Amino acid sequence: MDNIRIEATERTPEVDFSFEDNIFSLRGEAYPEDVNEFFGPLIDQLEEHFASLDSAEVSFNFELIYFNSSTAKILMMLFELLDSTAGEKNNQVTVNWLYDADDDNMEELGEEYGEDLENAKFNLVPQDN
Amino acid sequence: MKAEKMLRLRDDLQEDGILFCYSGYMTEGVLSSIGKAIKDKLAIEEADKLVIRSVFGLFVEQVQNVIRYSEEVESKKSDEKVLELRYGVLTVGRKMIQENEKRFFVAVGNMVKPVDVERLNRNLTEIQQLDAGGLKALYKKILKGETPEGSKGAGVGFIDIARKSKNGFDFDFIAVNNDRTFFTLTAYA
Repeated sequence: MDNIRIEATERTPEVDFSFEDNIFSLRGEAYPEDVNEFFGPLIDQLEEHFASLDSAEVSFNFELIYFNSSTAKILMMLFELLDSTAGEKNNQVTVNWLYDADDDNMEELGEEYGEDLENAKFNLVPQDN
Repeated sequence: MKAEKMLRLRDDLQEDGILFCYSGYMTEGVLSSIGKAIKDKLAIEEADKLVIRSVFGLFVEQVQNVIRYSEEVESKKSDEKVLELRYGVLTVGRKMIQENEKRFFVAVGNMVKPVDVERLNRNLTEIQQLDAGGLKALYKKILKGETPEGSKGAGVGFIDIARKSKNGFDFDFIAVNNDRTFFTLTAYA
């Protein structure tokens, strides 16, 4: 699968998906006009790729400054996908939630998503700036 | 006379601490550009960056609710596309609490169907009574489950507004005629 690299816009995050290394990142602000139009194709490709993995090491980095409530639902789907991938075929999945160290709200949201992971490893990573 | 009338409108708004006021059809483009201006204005006011994020988050959820749900709507079908515009009123402002303490608020108002008033009133009253833990639990339950019927987003917009309203929110309705009721929600960051 070809790697995906999409520059950030005011309303959509930078997307950096390296399928060959299994390192995936979303960075920036996320409140797209149409969440399904933006995230739908990305999630389809992740699902297809993850289904093919066996004994793989996967890292997924969320580095979001702000996301709206429609995007919150997409993030929940992504976390569920990552956790189910971690539960299959000896895959090791690490989810990193990078947030501005001052931003308690973003930390709390990360904790909320992370606490439901049963198979994937979860790290809260405060960033100083 | 025209200048006098317009000046009075401006003065009335400023007296209420309103920094931004928009009344009209709301689109995603309107959201983008007013959102940018709000961020700039708050940056000039040297508001705390976390306050700016809260105000901005409240603004996005409130405006997207108007874009999706206002019942004052005009539409036109052309080819396969449906062009749809929904009307609402937005104000963003600040109240001085003490000399050095200001509190920002984001208010919107839009028409709803009278039949929806009871549901909105019940949902919002329920949300208003929840503490932080209760809001978090409800937010997650809805995100993990099926999207509520009639929702065009994740169905957690009001809960998100409640969570970002560090100083609470209030809402009100006024019947306009048999078909329409005006609904307003003010969120205090």
